[in-house]
Amino acid sequence: MPDELTHPPLAELLGDRYTENPFERSFYRRDLGVVPPRLASLIGDTLPDAVARPRTADEISAILCYAAECKLAVTPRAAATTAYWNAVPLARGLLLDLNGLAGLVEIHEARLTATVLPGTRWGDLDRALRRRGFTLLSYPTSAPAATVGGWICMEGYGIGSLKYGGVQGQLRELEATLADGRITQVSGASKAAGALRATGFAGSEGTLGIITRAELVIRRTPAAIGHHLLTFPDMAAATGAVAELAAASPTPFYAHFAAESYGRFLRRAGFTPAADGPLLAITYDGEPDEAAQGDRNVRQAAARWRGAALPEALAAREWDERFLALRLKRGGPSVLAAEAWLPTARLADYADDVAKLAAQQGLPIATYGTVVAPGQTTVMSLYGCDESRPLPYLLALSLTKKLYDIAFRHGGRPYGLGVWNTPYLAQAMSAEELAMRRATKRTLDPANILNPGKVYAPPRLLWPPAFKLGMDLLAGTRRVGKRWL
Amino acid sequence: MEPAAPYTSFDQEAQICAHCGYCQAVCPTYAAIGWESAGPRGRMTIATEGLRGDGFPDEAAQRIYECTLCGHCREACATRIDTLAAWLEARRRLADRGALERLPLGRLRDNLRQAHNVTGDPAENRLMWQADLEHADPGLNGRAGAEIVYFVGCVTGLYGQGHPIAQAATEIFRAAGLNFTTLGSAEWCCGFPYLGLGLPAEAAAVARHNLAAVQSLGARTIVASCPSCFHMWRDVYPDLLAAPIGLEVLHASELAARLLAEDRIELAPRPLRVTYHDPCDLGRNSGVYDAPRAVLRAIPGVELVEMADTRENALCCGGGGNLEAVNPALVAEIAARRIAQAVETGATILVTPCQQCKRTLAAAARKARARLKVLDLNEIVRQAMAV
Repeated sequence: MPDELTHPPLAELLGDRYTENPFERSFYRRDLGVVPPRLASLIGDTLPDAVARPRTADEISAILCYAAECKLAVTPRAAATTAYWNAVPLARGLLLDLNGLAGLVEIHEARLTATVLPGTRWGDLDRALRRRGFTLLSYPTSAPAATVGGWICMEGYGIGSLKYGGVQGQLRELEATLADGRITQVSGASKAAGALRATGFAGSEGTLGIITRAELVIRRTPAAIGHHLLTFPDMAAATGAVAELAAASPTPFYAHFAAESYGRFLRRAGFTPAADGPLLAITYDGEPDEAAQGDRNVRQAAARWRGAALPEALAAREWDERFLALRLKRGGPSVLAAEAWLPTARLADYADDVAKLAAQQGLPIATYGTVVAPGQTTVMSLYGCDESRPLPYLLALSLTKKLYDIAFRHGGRPYGLGVWNTPYLAQAMSAEELAMRRATKRTLDPANILNPGKVYAPPRLLWPPAFKLGMDLLAGTRRVGKRWL
Repeated sequence: MEPAAPYTSFDQEAQICAHCGYCQAVCPTYAAIGWESAGPRGRMTIATEGLRGDGFPDEAAQRIYECTLCGHCREACATRIDTLAAWLEARRRLADRGALERLPLGRLRDNLRQAHNVTGDPAENRLMWQADLEHADPGLNGRAGAEIVYFVGCVTGLYGQGHPIAQAATEIFRAAGLNFTTLGSAEWCCGFPYLGLGLPAEAAAVARHNLAAVQSLGARTIVASCPSCFHMWRDVYPDLLAAPIGLEVLHASELAARLLAEDRIELAPRPLRVTYHDPCDLGRNSGVYDAPRAVLRAIPGVELVEMADTRENALCCGGGGNLEAVNPALVAEIAARRIAQAVETGATILVTPCQQCKRTLAAAARKARARLKVLDLNEIVRQAMAV
């Protein structure tokens, strides 16, 4: 064992699955978001001291026991498919790479559940289930990379959530390793007062415990699936249609919308949109009569809201490309974005206000999203920039705050907190909910070892009043100086 | 799904990369090594941060060359980056800065420069596979007037394990009555290893040599049993030479499928349960998926059972991208995953139309003690021929 290691017991435990090599560690400093290094260094020290790749819950337990003993910050991470530094260290410490704890353990046919490990990617899991005649109820829009544990620790709404709800409601049981190293079983159904429930992990972003196993509700592969793609004269019509279809029976499996700005941005990125107007992609699956009724519903909604049905082949292509929204980045080459949870009824108003902001700032902003619950949508507004030009990039960063302001005006809230959305904590949840979450955190992780700096409070530099003022000033500067950018 | 977007520039594409990790999910190197640096998005980070100045850390070069160039990341890429083009350019930049000397790649480059093949063998050794041919053919080497040139390739021609492939291919061509020859000892490496080293100018030079050699015989068609040679001739030579090559280029599996469709070869029943491995350079990188399967299905009695991941999603065997020269243990680890999938099918024979896939998979099957025989497509066709 080399003497110069900072944490020899971890090296002894994991062997070549543990490293303090500076080259290897440097790859864990970022997620999808690009933050100028100087700004990043003001928020925290993102270079972990070590990276560990455990393969079992027992190894995680031993690591957390050691971390608790040494007061070592632990940042859990798997695919790191978010952009708010949810899985980026702020206080050096140990980076816990959970990708190696992956696989479908067992399918329980009688109760239609599957036991899976947390590093399993949703795309891989669905393929494995389909080989056996089963499929998932829902999965994230980043399913090719996103992992089971990661999505559970986020809010867990995406494709299929409209029909089957968020992933929290699909958890039969969780196994989690807590900050003191205890491996605990958490029931998804428990309603006992004070009991830790699986739903408690929603939005916890790895701050309460490391999920080491999950039993998820699954379903048999549907007998029929039908894709529809409609285009509308304006977003008000598209909003009316999607709200109507989401509330009708049967509930669509998937309802995705794209404002006109999305098509324009897609074209700018070098791709061909299915149509130039606002788009609505709807998928029904289930028994053949369900898909047939869905087809009738779509026709009626299209007639009522002046929608035009696009060819089936285009609808199928839209479905095949449902994981590829990031293609828009080719129109960047960098992009910045705000993702918000928004009442579906306000979509058109939101899109109108975003279009006004885009006009003010002289910057194309693409808006699109997914209806994830009755009356609720996750909406993404994304714009291009160039991270290699520090000043324009910094000015462009301020527009995410303006986009969130628009979302808040229409009853929205941020989707995911990490670090960069902590200035919006007051908009993200009520004071009571925040107090309850902080209390749970203090109970389960009193030494604040797990993913410190995330979710519960903004870092000093992002103190909300100063952050908001600073961002507004930058946005104003950008607006005035846009012609020189 | 729309294909990869047109490649812009190395720096631009590296910036377009969203670091979404879709590529990591399918990368055979990442699956085996496990560190973030070993996956495509890690390589993009190296490309953006590590290759801008003059120097580079050895680890960075190691990771850039520890890639099989399988192209799976390009299929998965959410931003539709032509990642293969990016990896080749990263290697070019590294080669320019002396990386080949710092990695165990200098010998491969020297073999290519001095002997025009990957092993460093003298050119005459390219004829050794012909010693055991069932039907001796004096016109097999450089016969002017032949319609078809069979481009044998380095691994098939110079490794003993590859010889049965060339022997089977020529027996099939002979039985079908084709007017064919080879370049014999005038054949040079196709240039694919040069590209993989990051030396495209040398690849262009061998392309010029090989094309001139074929043109001097007056042939109209090139057939390669090696998917990488095939890919070079059909897809890369026109770019390297900035002009169409004016030849029909076929992979041996495509030619066999054509011959079977025209009833020019007759196959006897072979009651076998067979699974099929898509070579990366034939499948993902050249788009040939159906011809080899059609050939297998044409053998009476053969039951073709597909592996869990096939066609565009097929797992790599580990044998590409010069990885064997950089990290042979990694090749074995990658191949073991594919063998595990083959074993799951219950097949007794794993067929692949690639000599390099055959080598790596056969070694992995032996190591895993799998009851699985690995054959090239030409070999199983030859065995089934009723001649």
